[in-house]
Amino acid sequence: MKKFIQSPLYIVAFLSVLFFSSCSKDAVEPDASLDYIQLASGFATGTSTHVELYATDSAFTGYNKLYVLLKDSATGKPVDKAVVTLNPMMDMTTMSHAAPKENPVSTTAVNHFFPCSVSFIMPSTAGKWTLGIQIQNLENGKSGTVNFTINVKAPASDKIFSFKSLSDNTTTYFVGLVEPSKPIVGINDLELVIYKKQSMMMFPADSSLSVIMTPEMPTMNHGSPNNVDPVHTINGHYKGKVNFTMTGFWRLNLKLKSGSTVVDSTHYIDITF
Amino acid sequence: MKQLILTAALVHLLVLAQAQAKPTKSQAADSIPEVQLAEVKVYGLTKNTHQQLLHYYTANQAATTEDILARLPELNMIRRSSYGMEPIIRTYSSGQSGLLIDGMRIHGACTDKMDPASIYVEPQNLQSVQIQTGNGFQSGSVIGGTVNMKLAEAQFDESRMWSGSVSSGFQSAANAWYETGKLNYSGNRLAVMTNISWRKAGNYRSGGGAVIPYSQYEKLNYGITALYKLNEKWTTKADLLLDDGWNIGYPALPMDVGYAGARIAALSWRNNSRMGNWQQTEFKLYANSIRHFMDDSHRINIPMHMDMPGESRTYGGYASSKLMLNRSTQLDVKADWASTFLKASMTMYQQGQLPMYMLTWPDNNTLQSGLGAIFSKRIDSASLVNISARADVFSKSLTTQMGKDQLSVLNNPVSNIIKVLKNIAVEYSYRFNEQLKLKTVLSYSERMPTSSELYGFYLFNAFDGYDYIGNTLLKPENAWKAEANISGRSGVFQYGLTGYLSRINQYIMGIYQPGLSTMTIGANGVKQHVNLPYALIAGAEASLIVQPDHSLWFINTTRYSYGEDHLKQALPMIPPVRNISSLRKMIGSCAMQAELELATAQNRVSSKAMERKTSAYAIAHLRLMFTGSLAGNPLRIDGGVENLFDQAYREHLDWGGIRRPGRNVYLQFTYQF
Ligand SMILES: [Cu+2]
Ligand SMILES: [Cu+2]
Repeated sequence: MKKFIQSPLYIVAFLSVLFFSSCSKDAVEPDASLDYIQLASGFATGTSTHVELYATDSAFTGYNKLYVLLKDSATGKPVDKAVVTLNPMMDMTTMSHAAPKENPVSTTAVNHFFPCSVSFIMPSTAGKWTLGIQIQNLENGKSGTVNFTINVKAPASDKIFSFKSLSDNTTTYFVGLVEPSKPIVGINDLELVIYKKQSMMMFPADSSLSVIMTPEMPTMNHGSPNNVDPVHTINGHYKGKVNFTMTGFWRLNLKLKSGSTVVDSTHYIDITF
Repeated sequence: MKQLILTAALVHLLVLAQAQAKPTKSQAADSIPEVQLAEVKVYGLTKNTHQQLLHYYTANQAATTEDILARLPELNMIRRSSYGMEPIIRTYSSGQSGLLIDGMRIHGACTDKMDPASIYVEPQNLQSVQIQTGNGFQSGSVIGGTVNMKLAEAQFDESRMWSGSVSSGFQSAANAWYETGKLNYSGNRLAVMTNISWRKAGNYRSGGGAVIPYSQYEKLNYGITALYKLNEKWTTKADLLLDDGWNIGYPALPMDVGYAGARIAALSWRNNSRMGNWQQTEFKLYANSIRHFMDDSHRINIPMHMDMPGESRTYGGYASSKLMLNRSTQLDVKADWASTFLKASMTMYQQGQLPMYMLTWPDNNTLQSGLGAIFSKRIDSASLVNISARADVFSKSLTTQMGKDQLSVLNNPVSNIIKVLKNIAVEYSYRFNEQLKLKTVLSYSERMPTSSELYGFYLFNAFDGYDYIGNTLLKPENAWKAEANISGRSGVFQYGLTGYLSRINQYIMGIYQPGLSTMTIGANGVKQHVNLPYALIAGAEASLIVQPDHSLWFINTTRYSYGEDHLKQALPMIPPVRNISSLRKMIGSCAMQAELELATAQNRVSSKAMERKTSAYAIAHLRLMFTGSLAGNPLRIDGGVENLFDQAYREHLDWGGIRRPGRNVYLQFTYQF
């Protein structure tokens, strides 16, 4: 707990522990055991609301779980009812594009947090990422936006990749890794997220593909037994199991199919622990 | 006897042999063949009722415990190196039989079976070897039998407070040194014996001249044992046995051992009286800790460097006693308990990457408690009936979440395993006359799957080149066994013939799983332990001793083994026919001994186990023993040549196709004081 960045968060985390049992089961709830890092904070113009953006890690290329905390600028009390909309945008001087995102599923905060996600598809070395957060504060009825500049780092190995479908050679998909975020030697939940690139600004979730996942340790040339291929659950999320028989450098080889047609089989996601 | 030793050691040897040759009266000794090594401190000789023949083979003061065990007809040795040979009873695996030291359970800390408990006993602290086969579950639920290596005890000697011996020797094939020292203190109520032995061997030269790399070793074995007479009836005994080995090469395996250590301690109380209803009551508490560090840093051309440490800790105890019901009826009872913790891991290193760590034995604990009894009734002067029964409760558990998490990838349950094992045997002996005695045993027994069979995680087996994974769904094996023995003596001849047949149901064996990916680089595939419907194991042992006069002995032993699985295919590790002959002639204070070892070829091999065929061989040894005196104390010199004709050969149970030592000239001096 001593690693907590600041005291309000400490309290939030403490409360979240207290109220853990009362939380709704299907909501994406912040894990009290994690250390949250504040990525950015600022006032959303004209809303009397202070917006704070948290994550468990600094922003990286890939699927980022984010947590938005709203506070009444006068009282400093958390705002638990709001419509939060994300608008990630990358400015690459000659052009700009958005990124896949998941707005909070509910207008009610979970332990004061609005869980959401952005899948940054490039690192900040290629341009400037801005995350616009539009707030409609349902407690005071005011609306407005705050823009955060986000420094997106490239992780040691890619946690997201894109491919052009082999079936039509035009449709581009993005595949990101959600879980395992804390891999263990044993059975791990595997969760992937797949988005289709409709335009530079539109990246809807895709549920049409099937995934065959084969883990291997490239250094030793072995795999692991009893893995479960991820299947689509909801909103472009595919869930399965990946088994690691030892620590170290693992590669999840992915083969993606549309019906019986292989649309990509050249990509993988590496996990080292 | 002491005086005899001091004056004419060789005469003593003969007297002793005669004494041992007499059939023993004790009922217990009847049911447990015991190879006596009581006079180890003088000669390193072994004796036995039906196998006094061993006397010959182990006369060599330079012999290792393994050399001695290898001569016992019921034992086979699995050889992965010149050190740490694994004794097995007949062709039953080590998991199917028990190997105890002074009644103590000691589990090796090596996933590759590099450290059978027998390595902790040097000839000078070995008192005797007890082998139970037909009803061999008195000390545990086993289907093959039990070997108990009894430790030498301190001796009460009224004539001398201090005595001891030192010994030094050299063996040419491995440029090996063998040094020992022993000191005995005998007081009024307290006797203490302390001993130390050190061996260091280089890479040995095999028959024909090729030097076998990674066959070196160095070890130190030391211990202290004390007896204290509490009163007329009760004696208490404390043992501390320590063993350290370094730089031990295993040429048949991909790894060597950097360091291996054992710490063994025991405290027991025993009632020596042979009066009253309860006799020879003994209570014992013991603890041991084994550590084992495998190492491949001396190997060249290995794809990846790795460390493989392992540890084993056991606490246990037992209580045993004989209840004399009447003059012809007795009940031997034993209650025992042991708790064994095991853990082994592997860390692999690749430059520029995080280390790869996994548990090869996920942390696990075995709690075993058993109760056994032998009911013996002498029906008349010729016939004796023994009924043995034993039940064991086993509880095996994975003790850490990490171990459970890891093993769960095999999709088998990781919860506690509790089994109750049952055993029963009926033995009938009939003595027709001096020339012919018949003994038959029929038994049903069960054995628990080993921790490797249940929990092993990608354990590489260098014998067949497969990775083995455990199976927590394994059922215990059970076996029906029939064994018959005839023995007797006639004039200068003495003979024994034993035949046995057993059917092992739920036979546990590794079966290839084509769908699984190997972990070890270069492995042939993955095998998982499964219960096969059954397997058959059979065999015969014969011995002949001819002793025309006190200066000439001839001994011959033959053994044969057979094994097949439910598909009538050969089981692996079944030795061919093996015959050992020895002729000893004594002239004055010298003895000369010629030995011949013969084995037929083994062409009936297991293709599933990638087993190789083994050629027939014949090797000869020549030994000389001389006893003189120095400053009034006996000095003994043992010398000889083993593998006289420098044959290039290997035995069928030797792993890796590695040849055995070639011509070996040895010399050992032993001085007693
Ligand atoms: Cu690996
Ligand atoms: Cu080992």
